[in-house]
Amino acid sequence: MTLGSIDYFIIALYFVFVLGIGWLLKRRVATSEDFLTSGRSVPVWITSLAFVATNLGAQEMIGMCASGAKYGMMTCHFYWVGAIPAMLFVGVFMMPFYYGSRARSVPEYLKLRFDEKTRTFNAVSFAVMTVFSSGISMYALGLLFELALGWSFTASVLLSAVIVLIYTYLGGLTSAIYNEVLQFFLIVLGSAPLAILAVAKAGGWEGMSARLPEVMSRAWKYTGSYSANPMGVEIFGLVVGLGFVLSFGYWCTNFLVVQRALAANSMSAARRTPLIAAFPKMFIPFIVIVPGVAAMALMKMGVGYALPPKGEGYNYDLALTTLMGQFYPSGLLGVGLTALMASFMSGMAGNVTAFNTVWTYDIYQGHIRKGAPDSHYLWVGRMSTIVAVALSIGAAYLATLYNNIMDLLQLVFGFVNAPLFATFLLGMFWKRATGHGAFTGLLAGTAAASLTHGLTLAEGKGAWLGNLHQFPSTMAQNFWIAIFAWTTCCLVTILVSLMSRAKPVAELHNLVYGVTEIPRTGDAPWYERPGTLAILIAVICILLNVWFW
Amino acid sequence: MDDLRVSSGLFFSLLGLILCAVGIFSPATRAPLTEVNVNLYTGIVMVVFGGVMLWLARRRV
Repeated sequence: MTLGSIDYFIIALYFVFVLGIGWLLKRRVATSEDFLTSGRSVPVWITSLAFVATNLGAQEMIGMCASGAKYGMMTCHFYWVGAIPAMLFVGVFMMPFYYGSRARSVPEYLKLRFDEKTRTFNAVSFAVMTVFSSGISMYALGLLFELALGWSFTASVLLSAVIVLIYTYLGGLTSAIYNEVLQFFLIVLGSAPLAILAVAKAGGWEGMSARLPEVMSRAWKYTGSYSANPMGVEIFGLVVGLGFVLSFGYWCTNFLVVQRALAANSMSAARRTPLIAAFPKMFIPFIVIVPGVAAMALMKMGVGYALPPKGEGYNYDLALTTLMGQFYPSGLLGVGLTALMASFMSGMAGNVTAFNTVWTYDIYQGHIRKGAPDSHYLWVGRMSTIVAVALSIGAAYLATLYNNIMDLLQLVFGFVNAPLFATFLLGMFWKRATGHGAFTGLLAGTAAASLTHGLTLAEGKGAWLGNLHQFPSTMAQNFWIAIFAWTTCCLVTILVSLMSRAKPVAELHNLVYGVTEIPRTGDAPWYERPGTLAILIAVICILLNVWFW
Repeated sequence: MDDLRVSSGLFFSLLGLILCAVGIFSPATRAPLTEVNVNLYTGIVMVVFGGVMLWLARRRV
């Protein structure tokens, strides 16, 4: 795949615009809250699209296309089961507490609701995690560009990191969010033609599914048992592990996404942010997963398209870029690659802006220096933006040297994240839950996750304590690790809470269900009512599932 | 310009015009598996999208 000068020109034009947006938004930043939380001033259509975009990183684009090629339409579960229900829940049920508490971050909510130690545990693990995950996606992008375009790893990593740094340093969260929306449009407009061209070439949906085993074009039909589908998952693990524990844990407690909703300019806008975001979210499989499925059909047609081999199978990670190389002429190819870069930047900017807020408010202001003037925290916020980018670059290079360390870290983050949703659910809906309960519950849940991993084996992973059970795939293992972690956290939190002294109800206003005024929305037009929107989305999502059953 | 509708409207109009120009002046530019003038069609879609964004920005001021 080679680029013409017109492609480079398009990439340059994109750089000019993202930097320009950062520069124009610079004058909106006067206080630390302007910089770190957008001063709660962003219109709802912008926060919603940013909510989708920040999660649509380059790793997701590449990985979902690869998974589409490898597993087929079952990959859609990561959207229709693994995202939509949780997005509806956070908008309808949880946002009144997040937004109403006036917490500036998710860890800060934990501090207000529970205590300092629960907040610190969450803040520190989250801060470390964001830095590493932006490093890992930077590594993936650098590797891909090196492989597909022959660009130097160092040059593409540094260039994209520096651009993200400049625009987030200048305009803070507002600039990150505004650019995420531009990036979202670019991702959609730059990837949709690929989906259309690849599917058309493969003979439309009918032609595609006729050329592939039926399991590739169905989402649910083959989930009855582990052995029926190439993913190696079954319906209970899928629905409870992915659809409930992992998905609610991510969309409802991860500050990366919640931060976008908290930047909205009113309670109503904050609640509608994840709901409006769910509309585009449920159709994203058609532009990221379907091209991967089409790639497999094209390979059977002998039209000259082939995935490069890897080991006994194929290098699925190259599905997206090889398709672009075969279907995009010079011009559109520049747009396609810019879209890939845009997805990388939106993911990275999300990590950077979440990191600097948690660092500044939850770690620095909470533990290192309390009560300084606001201008000092603004300065700390700016500096931590630079530090976050530098650490991410460091993590990307660490990944090139020690790939195993990165796998291990991702595993550990998984253990820490799995129980989180139990803590928030009990915290928001049970007045009796206490700080001691939440903290010990989180620790116990994390321990249960590691223990499950240590006692079960899947694809040669885990079982470092003994082999009690064997899973057919690491995905199934992950789902069950999450289920055990969540259940343990929930039980331990309840038990310890009942044994410790609860916070007086007077301190729980706007934090817990029952002592918080849930905003009335009956007078608003239907499209501004969270409940109505949620039902509408649920119906469309169910129809999609039935269609691709 | 710090209205997002203006900046994204300008960006996609420009990008669309570039793609249209490539499609019109170099209609033979093809990728191995693409038979249609996909630069031109995508360009038109982007110009329309950018135009709608700019129109929305003007209307609400």
